[in-house]
Amino acid sequence: MLSRAARPALRAGAAVTARPIVPNAANFATLREIEGRLKSIRNIEKITKTMKIVASTKLTRAQKAMTESRSYGEASNTVFEKAETKPLEGEGKKTLIVVASSDKGLCGGIHSGLSKYTRAMLHNKPDADIVVLGEKCKAQLGRSNGKNIVLSFANVGKDVPTFADAQAIADQICLLPTDYASIQIVYNKFLNAQSYEPTPVEAFSEEAIKNSPNFAAFEIDDEVLSNLREYALANSLFWALAEGHACEQSARRNAMDNASNNAADMINKFQILFNRTRQAVITGELVEIITGAAASEQ
Amino acid sequence: MAFAWKAAGLTYNRYLAVAARVVRRSLKEEQRIGVERRGEMDLKFAKWQNGKQGDNKNLADANTSAMAEHAGQQTAQ
Repeated sequence: MLSRAARPALRAGAAVTARPIVPNAANFATLREIEGRLKSIRNIEKITKTMKIVASTKLTRAQKAMTESRSYGEASNTVFEKAETKPLEGEGKKTLIVVASSDKGLCGGIHSGLSKYTRAMLHNKPDADIVVLGEKCKAQLGRSNGKNIVLSFANVGKDVPTFADAQAIADQICLLPTDYASIQIVYNKFLNAQSYEPTPVEAFSEEAIKNSPNFAAFEIDDEVLSNLREYALANSLFWALAEGHACEQSARRNAMDNASNNAADMINKFQILFNRTRQAVITGELVEIITGAAASEQ
Repeated sequence: MAFAWKAAGLTYNRYLAVAARVVRRSLKEEQRIGVERRGEMDLKFAKWQNGKQGDNKNLADANTSAMAEHAGQQTAQ
């Protein structure tokens, strides 16, 4: 039973290894086959190259948006740093994890990196709720942790994220029925053009802000506090979205660069193979003609 | 409560968005075209329950209707 099941796989494996080693078989079928593959690889290279160029141009814009948004996030973080706000530690407090991914793929492992990080966080806090921004992480987390997801947003990351996006998302999160003790926004931190790292950023709840040791220095009325919290959430979301967007573009650029390089390598290999095969065919034909001529002379 | 917008059920973010829109619209024609793109928001969202995704809804519509509901509650109180 097992051997029979394993056999087709074996055969398939053998076929794959056998395919490239046929240059000495001088028939036209393989020649045309190689030509066809060469053509398709060339087309793929063209596509990936174009995508790389598109990603490069988008990257400069995304990076500009990121540096601009950073000031938003940092300004609102300074308030909490100065107030020495700490996330509430307590039993029975619910945590909300906001995953800032996007809708589009073909950009290496940045979405799965976020998903992995989120899963690790869920391992420590199994009852935490998740809000997913973007289709990619939704698909990944929906399969493994569908029970934890409370909201998902689509249409994220088509263009550079706007503050209006962040505000609308923040509003919808505030409308959630549960009162969360802490909101963690997970996004890809932009380290440099090559590397990024899933990082959580904390958006504090009203209670946490109120309990911070230096809170009195700011003289904030209780009534305004919820405004501050909503606004800080929108700021952090905007920051996370913009930085994640920049990461995605740079990751896509790198992925497409690698794909183009690999395609170029393959084209080289197939070109050589193609030439060898063609020569073998010509030699074979010559041999046939000469032997035929020699035979008819006698 | 001193804030009129709060009584109308708006959140602070919504209030800011409306204020920003007003500023953008009052700009001169040349500047307005480039700037107005920053106020665009075309997100969709879905609520999840027990591991199942609900319907995809337009976020802007949902937010306005939620706030209208909220306003009704506030006046009722």
